[in-house]
Amino acid sequence: MVGAHAGKAHRDERIAVAVLSTCSAIFVLAIALILFYLAWSGTKLFFVDHVSPFTFLFSSDWDGLSGKFGAAPFIAGSLVATGFAILVGGPLGVAIGVFFSELAPERVALAFKPAIEVLVGIPSVVYGWLGLTLLVPLIGRVFHSGGDGLLAAGIVLSIMILPTVISLSEDALKVVPTSLREGSAALGATRWETISRVLIPSASSGLAVAVILGIARAIGETLAVQLVLGNAAVIPTSLLKPASALTAEIVMDMGDAPDGSPFQHALFSMAFLLLLIAMALIVLIRIALRRRA
Amino acid sequence: MVEPQFIPALDEKMNVEGLNVFYGAFQAIKNANIGVPDRRVMALIGPSGCGKSTFLRALNRMHDLTPGARVEGSVTLDGTDIYAPEVDPVTVRHRIGMVFQRPNPFPKSIYENVVYGPKIHGENNKNRLLEIAEKSLRAAALWDEAKDRLHRSALDLSGGQQQRLCIARVLAVEPEVILMDEPASALDPIATSKIEDLIGELKKQYTVIIVTHSMQQAARISDFTAFFLLGELLEVGTTSDIFTRPKDQRTEDYITGRYG
Amino acid sequence: MARAIAPPAPLSARLSGDRARSRRIVDRIATGLLWTSASTVVGLLLIFVGYLFVKGAGVVTWHFLTGSPSASEAGGGVGPLIFNSFYILFLTLLFTVPVALCAGMYLQEYAGPGRFRDLVQFSAESLATVPSIVMGLFGLLIFVQTFHWHFTALGGALTLTLLNLPAMMRVTQEALAGVPATLREASMGLGATKWQTVLRAILPSAIGPLTTGVVLVAGRIFGETAALIFTAGASVSYGKSAYDFNPFHTAETLAVGLYQTHREALVPDADAIGNGSALVLLVMVLAFNVIARVVGRRLTIHFTGKA
Repeated sequence: MVGAHAGKAHRDERIAVAVLSTCSAIFVLAIALILFYLAWSGTKLFFVDHVSPFTFLFSSDWDGLSGKFGAAPFIAGSLVATGFAILVGGPLGVAIGVFFSELAPERVALAFKPAIEVLVGIPSVVYGWLGLTLLVPLIGRVFHSGGDGLLAAGIVLSIMILPTVISLSEDALKVVPTSLREGSAALGATRWETISRVLIPSASSGLAVAVILGIARAIGETLAVQLVLGNAAVIPTSLLKPASALTAEIVMDMGDAPDGSPFQHALFSMAFLLLLIAMALIVLIRIALRRRA
Repeated sequence: MVEPQFIPALDEKMNVEGLNVFYGAFQAIKNANIGVPDRRVMALIGPSGCGKSTFLRALNRMHDLTPGARVEGSVTLDGTDIYAPEVDPVTVRHRIGMVFQRPNPFPKSIYENVVYGPKIHGENNKNRLLEIAEKSLRAAALWDEAKDRLHRSALDLSGGQQQRLCIARVLAVEPEVILMDEPASALDPIATSKIEDLIGELKKQYTVIIVTHSMQQAARISDFTAFFLLGELLEVGTTSDIFTRPKDQRTEDYITGRYG
Repeated sequence: MARAIAPPAPLSARLSGDRARSRRIVDRIATGLLWTSASTVVGLLLIFVGYLFVKGAGVVTWHFLTGSPSASEAGGGVGPLIFNSFYILFLTLLFTVPVALCAGMYLQEYAGPGRFRDLVQFSAESLATVPSIVMGLFGLLIFVQTFHWHFTALGGALTLTLLNLPAMMRVTQEALAGVPATLREASMGLGATKWQTVLRAILPSAIGPLTTGVVLVAGRIFGETAALIFTAGASVSYGKSAYDFNPFHTAETLAVGLYQTHREALVPDADAIGNGSALVLLVMVLAFNVIARVVGRRLTIHFTGKA
């Protein structure tokens, strides 16, 4: 009873499934290739140039062109800038997520939301440019310093991760059932008490994901931080002195490092380190989400 | 329209006068007038959509939380209008508690659920909190089942147990009036009968107003019954009067099952 | 069932002014802080936009938008850079949209729960977390070095494809998820195969949100820098006509150009060019945002008849 039409339809179906699943497989292939290539190039410094991983991670002696590959200044810089960003942008983002989810009347939300969307869309190089031309001079004036450094980078990063943290926090809160809000109100709680004692604890795993993704965004950010950090390969001792970060160093010196040189290998190792950190954050997110169930 | 109430010789705990509730342009409650006697159970019956829950929520200012809802008229508790501008809705809900149709325990431990109210109201002493928790759980007939798992999640309890936990939670803030919105409708018959027994005990101390879609339930547990239809409070009386000698034809029609 | 119910404790102590009043105050302070936070962020945005407009408006002239960059004199333009930005955007979308669309359709409509689905989902999440500079280095390794292409627009586009595949797939998945199940049931109930259902019933219904999402991702692609510096290159032919359609040539985009302006600062008006470039980038982002919404809504109305 299978007519020609049905036969063609079924053949189309099989072709479609093949094409679609192949496209899905491309994702798997892509990440596998990236991991492989970055691991391969990223470990050349250790296997080919015989630099010890210990030196790479913990020594602060860095001079790419003369064979010193202690990347600790960059690692420290990345950590400090990211830490600052998450300590400032994290709570602020969650607060605004709470605002949109619990407080804002519809008309206000309609007015404010597009602002958040535009913030997402601003390219990182423009953030870097704004940081350079607006923020760095401002910091310089206020603190009587050069203005560049980790404070500038931290502030820029805080702003950049806000949209991510805001929208994920808002989503996490919206999922909490209204019946809990009613139950709390019916017991005589004020709105803030309901938010702080019931809603935020209930949404905690979603909020954790929001923060972790904020961290991921901050640590991977390149252009914006490179333009405001000042790029000095030293262990940061002050937020107001020039410093550096892993991403900034890569983008700054990759063009200058000769092909195949240990210098270039060191930069690849930094990239590999960033990739490992990113993967670790993904695992963290999965743990946080599993805790919710 | 029904004549204002006639409850003889009993103290009135709450009094509703000229209550109108609007959702936007839609009027959900039309000119309700009723007195609620102290420490009795009053059942609100009527076909679905007739406004019983809306009326109930007006009694503890839950409509304040709904954008677009408007309440007119007065609702007094011991003589004070709870809608007066100087009255804080938070304290209103402290004295008039509410149990919802579906159990809504917080995703916390049983203990944390019960002491949530007292903690908010400033009680910090661990011993006193434990006392309150035990007292409330006993009063809600849940102590025996809960005492060994106080710090385990409330979400592990069965539906009936969760609802009794919600009742314990309300009792812990020591209200004077307890509003119940179809508290047993999501529960099985055994859990339901436990809740009904509980209500019988609660009325010794609290004023209970319960919305129910089951006339049998109203007949079993309430002292007074009010009949709602399409937003209007048509008739109020003692339960036995309403069920045996209803004054309004529409009440009689509902009771005899002409519409559900 | 006899249960002892103790008489209620006196209420007066708990209801009295002080505690209730301080709770009210805390509630009001918290509310105020939340409003302030939100307004601060909106205010920041207005400051940024305002600053860029003020500083850049004078720079953005027709000559600026169409002229070629100058190697050492003032008065250069960013015409070829803008061209390259669009060109690379076009190439990137060419690769990204079909692959992500197909993968999204597969995950949303075909794949049952299982190892393959989890693997693809995990891969997409991982891909999304790879920092753009790392992706740029991967592109450097593969296209520039291993394939010996040196800096090319194609290499840049392929790198950007990898970077944006996860976002585009999520756009697809969300658009498809927004289609009501009843539509699928109706189509299958009429004897259509799954593919026919997807192609003829589901996709048209989802085309509004799909387009909105694609245009929004396009906006992000337009502004991408870190992944392009070492794949598409950071130089443009000075002087001669640099509107080059050859995908195997170097193609510096506007965003990369902004970065280079600061780094090299060879021309005396580097700052002005920077301001102008930043403004153009910002305006493009805003334009993409607006177009995404407007076109999305129009398409939804056209294809489904409802607003």
